[in-house]
Amino acid sequence: MEFSSILGAWVASFLTIGIFSYLYKDNPFYKIAEHLFVGVSAGYLLSLGFWTQLQPNLFGRLFPAKHYDPDTLTYSIYNILSFFSTSIFPEGGIDKGHDQHLIYVIPLILGIMMLMSLIPSFSWMARWGIAYVVGMAAGLKAYGYLNSNVIGQIKGTAVNIFDFSLPIFSLSSPSVFNNLLIFIGTICGLLYFYFSKEHKGMLGKASKIGIYFLMISFGASFGFAVMGRISLLIGRFTDLILFSGSDYHYATYWVLVLIVGILGYAAFKEQKNEGFPEPNILSSSNEEE
Amino acid sequence: MNNIKDIENIFLKIGKIDRRWIFIIIAVVVIIPLLVPIGLPIRATDTSKSVYDALENLPKGSNVLLSVEYSPSTKPENHPMTISVLRHLFRNDHKVYVTCLWPDGQFMAQDALSQVAEGEFNKVYGQDYVLLGYRPGGEAVVKGIVSNIRKLFSVDAKQTKVDEIPMMDGIKNFKDFDFLFSASAGYPGTIEWVQYASDPTGIPMSSGVTSIQVNEVMPYVQSGQMVGVLAGMPGAAEYESLIGQKGSATSGMDAQSVAHLVIVLFIVLGNISYFIDRKRSRKY
Repeated sequence: MEFSSILGAWVASFLTIGIFSYLYKDNPFYKIAEHLFVGVSAGYLLSLGFWTQLQPNLFGRLFPAKHYDPDTLTYSIYNILSFFSTSIFPEGGIDKGHDQHLIYVIPLILGIMMLMSLIPSFSWMARWGIAYVVGMAAGLKAYGYLNSNVIGQIKGTAVNIFDFSLPIFSLSSPSVFNNLLIFIGTICGLLYFYFSKEHKGMLGKASKIGIYFLMISFGASFGFAVMGRISLLIGRFTDLILFSGSDYHYATYWVLVLIVGILGYAAFKEQKNEGFPEPNILSSSNEEE
Repeated sequence: MNNIKDIENIFLKIGKIDRRWIFIIIAVVVIIPLLVPIGLPIRATDTSKSVYDALENLPKGSNVLLSVEYSPSTKPENHPMTISVLRHLFRNDHKVYVTCLWPDGQFMAQDALSQVAEGEFNKVYGQDYVLLGYRPGGEAVVKGIVSNIRKLFSVDAKQTKVDEIPMMDGIKNFKDFDFLFSASAGYPGTIEWVQYASDPTGIPMSSGVTSIQVNEVMPYVQSGQMVGVLAGMPGAAEYESLIGQKGSATSGMDAQSVAHLVIVLFIVLGNISYFIDRKRSRKY
C-alpha cells in the first residue's frame, strides 16, 4: 500500500475520532479537527472558485489568446499583470476558447467593490456589488418559486376526488382514498395559516385537522433526519473499521488509544484538582449541558 | 402497589440516564451489524422503481446529464446512488455528462467515474463520458446550462476545450439532454434543477437525495415534476438491488435498521419516563 494512503487513513482516523470526542465533552482534539475542517474547506472553495470560474470565465473573456495584440491598451495591462503571475496570466493571452467581451469589466469592478468592505473608509462600495447579487437572486428566485412551487404544486394538489375509475385504496399509487387525503390535507393545512378569523367552530375544527397533517409531516421529517444522521455514522464507522486493519497499521486502534488515554488522564487530573466529584456517569444528564 | 412504584422508579432512572450512555449504545448497535451482517431483505419502493424504470426506458445512446452536488460529509448516502446510477447508465450505453454545483462534488464525481467508467466499464473519456466540473453560482449556473452550456463551460474539469471533446458536438443547452439525474445533498441542488431546468424545459429529471431532504423533494415527485426519487441510504440500497449489484449502501442497511429499532425503543422509554414524572408532579 502507498505511503500516502496510509497517511491519509491515519489523518482520517484522527480527525473522525477527534470530532467524536466532542460527545464526551469539548476538548482540544475536537477543536483541532473543527478548525482544520473550516480552514481546508474555505481554502479549497476559494482555490476551486478562482481556477474554475474567475480565471477561465472572467479573465479568459477579458484577455483571450484569440485576440492577443500587445499594442492595444487591454493587452498592455495584461502584460503588466502577466509580469506578476504567469500562471494566472500566461504569455500571449488566456486560451480558454472565449472571444473577447469587454463588458465583463463590469462584474470585475463589482467584485473588487465587494472586497472593499475590508477597508472601512471604502466599505460603502461593497453595497453596489451586494445589491446586484441580491437583485439578481431575488429575480431568479421569484420566477422559480412561482413556476414550480406555486403553479406546479397547485396543479399537483388539484386532484379529482370523484374519479372512481381509480382503486378505492392504495398505499402509494393514486387512489380515491389518497386523492381525498390530499384534498382534505391541503385545505385544512392552509386553513391553519388563515389568521383573519378566530379559529372557532368549523374553522377551528378544520385548522385542528390541519395541525394533525402538519404534525405527521414534522414527524416524517424527524424520522428522515434520524435516518440521515445514522447513515453518516455508518459511513464513518465503515471507514474506521477499514482503517483498523493491518494494511493501515491499525490506525484506528492507535488513534483511539491515544485520544482516549489523553482525555482520560486529563479527566483524572481534573478530578484530583476538584476533590473527586461524583464519578458515576449515570447521574443526571443536565449537569453536562 | 410497591411493585408498580419500583417499576416506575426504574423508568424514571432510565429517563435521567446520562446521554453519553445513549451514544455508546448507538455506537455498539451500529458497529455490530457492520462486523456481523444480518442480511435483512431490501424491498424497492415505488419511488426508487420509478427512477430505475425511467433510466431503463431511455433509448440506447441517450444524453444524460448527471449533476453531482454533495460533499464527503454525505458520502455514505449520496455516493452509492451516484455509483449505481453510473453503472446503470454505462450498462445501457448512454452518454454521461457530469456537472457539479458543489465544489467538493467535483472530486466525488472524479472518484465515482474512475471506479465505474474506467475501472468497471472501460469507457473512453470524451466519447462516453465527460466531467465538465464545478462552476460557482448555484441557480445562476443551472440557468446558464439551460440557456447556453458552452458559455459557462468553455473547458472541462481537465481544462480541455469543450470544442475539442467529441461527445460535446451538438450539445448547446439543457434541451439537448434526454434526462437529468441530480445527486443532491442540499442547496444548490435538486430543487434548483426542478425550478430552473426541468419545469421550464420539460426535460424529465430524477434525483437521489439525503434523508433530510426527502420531505422537501417529495412534493415534486407526487406532483409529477420529478420522476421518482432515491431517498437516502435506503434509496441507494434499493437501487443497488434493482440493478443487481450490491454495494456499500446495502451493507449499511442492517446497521441502519437495528439503530432505528433502538432509537424507537429510546423514544418509547423516554415517553414512559416523561408521563410518570408528569403524573407524580401533578400528584404532589
